[in-house]
Amino acid sequence: MIELSHLTKVYGDTAVVNDVNMEIEAGTITVIVGTSGSGKSTLLRMVNRLVEPTEGRVFLEGNDVSTMPPHELRRSIGYAIQNHGLFPHWTVARNIATVPMLLGWDRRKVEARVEELMELFQLDHAQFANRYPHELSGGQQQRVGVARAMAAKPALLLMDEPFGALDPIIRSKAQSDLKAIQRRTGTTILLVTHDMAEAVHLGDRIAVMDAGLLKQYAPAADILARPADAFVDDLIGSADRPFRYLTLGKVRAAVEPGDAEGAPLAADASLYEGLGELLWSGRDAAPVIDTAGAPLGRISLESIAERAARPK
Amino acid sequence: MKRRMIRTGTVLRLLVFAALLAFLLAPDRFAGLLTPLTNNGAPAIYNQGTLLDLTLSHLVTVGLSTVAAAIVAIGLAIFVTRPAGAEFLALSRAIVNIGQTFPPVAVLALSVPIMGFGEGPTRVALFLYGLLPIFENTLVGLSTLPPAVVETASAMGMTGRQRLLKVELPLAMPLIVEGIRLSTVIGLATATIGSTVAAKGLGEVIVAGLLSNNLAFIVQGGVITGVLAVLISDGFEALAHRMAKRRGASSEARQSDPDGQRSGA
Repeated sequence: MIELSHLTKVYGDTAVVNDVNMEIEAGTITVIVGTSGSGKSTLLRMVNRLVEPTEGRVFLEGNDVSTMPPHELRRSIGYAIQNHGLFPHWTVARNIATVPMLLGWDRRKVEARVEELMELFQLDHAQFANRYPHELSGGQQQRVGVARAMAAKPALLLMDEPFGALDPIIRSKAQSDLKAIQRRTGTTILLVTHDMAEAVHLGDRIAVMDAGLLKQYAPAADILARPADAFVDDLIGSADRPFRYLTLGKVRAAVEPGDAEGAPLAADASLYEGLGELLWSGRDAAPVIDTAGAPLGRISLESIAERAARPK
Repeated sequence: MKRRMIRTGTVLRLLVFAALLAFLLAPDRFAGLLTPLTNNGAPAIYNQGTLLDLTLSHLVTVGLSTVAAAIVAIGLAIFVTRPAGAEFLALSRAIVNIGQTFPPVAVLALSVPIMGFGEGPTRVALFLYGLLPIFENTLVGLSTLPPAVVETASAMGMTGRQRLLKVELPLAMPLIVEGIRLSTVIGLATATIGSTVAAKGLGEVIVAGLLSNNLAFIVQGGVITGVLAVLISDGFEALAHRMAKRRGASSEARQSDPDGQRSGA
């Protein structure tokens, strides 16, 4: 659905984005990860023309974005950033309604959409609709920011460090919520972060950028298993690698027949969570149940360890 | 405690306003208060025209010049903060600065030969004098907006014009109002010199007092002008404060917010 072709941005003598080619599949989450100054934000901002490329093209559903008027293009693409950028003089409801109002939706349709989104993002309409952004907590502001970005049901959502300003506990919930909402709506998401853990947690595919160059673009498991070069390897962190790898797998995949003592584990928990539970409760194995509570078998430290090893 | 202080302030302002109104509508009743300031049986209350007429004409002169200055200064500040006008920033600043540094008396002296005696020269002088505070404040207001907010406005698909009208100007408004307040207050005081070129206004009372050595005239002209300036300045301040408070820019608004509403995530 998105194709970046030879995309380059030069400021002065430096190419902050250097000949990047990428294809992004509709309905997936793609995470661009890199250190600050790697050009990842510039890359993102060339998609909705907040930055005009020096060379190269961006195609959206086959259409060259440079041929569309910028404001019309942007109304069709959601955009959420780290400091949410909420309009401080508008209420929560008015903020969320920004793009639908620009598109000239009728009032009742806008109101219905605002209510629907506030429910989706767990913001009580009666309580929050008429509040101003400064009256909300950081987590609530962030959710309003994402709700606003999704208000006109864009097929594509661009997010620049959307969880950067949140504390760790709220951040991890916000990430899971985003993933769940994305699965439900099928929105294509292109997200920028410097946090490899976030990239592995959210990304169907991960693009690693360094000094303007696209170093590797692959599914998360491939990036972890076969980093393209020393830089990607560093970014993953060698000590964390097996654990990151385990966050990708589900307990269900490592179930073996048999029984075990103690509290059961959910089949949909990640292997990482399973490992944590086993280590902390001092067990070698635990029973596994499905969502209905029916026993599926057991999971052992050994079977988890097998899946944390470098794939051959 | 705080609330009580605000209330006392409001009551005080209302009392001052009522006193001013009473004095303007029936100045003769207050003659007794001012008589001690006169000598040789001179009149205690200005008698070459009613004080109410002079006050209204003073306000109209200041009002018209400030409105004109606001339109030009805000327009100019908007223009030089757009990409197309950025290169005119230095030039506009220079012009507006000249308007401020050129003494209003000199403007009067120069414009009388062209415009003749009356309100005209005063309006020109006040207009030029009023440009700078409004221009500088609008400029600061428009150029110090949170970058994330301005960028998001574009990223949401607002056109340049929509961004200006829906986001930039409303957010800069408290500072713009502050600039208009400054210009108005300066204008109210400066307008008194207009009487030297026969502009109708409160300066007439003061000048008459100076010429006839009548302290009562000087005091009533000065006090009416001063009280007007304080009341109008207060009104603008309250307006700017209210606008800033709504968007959470004032620390007071944050403090008064119940804690429970902010901690929930």
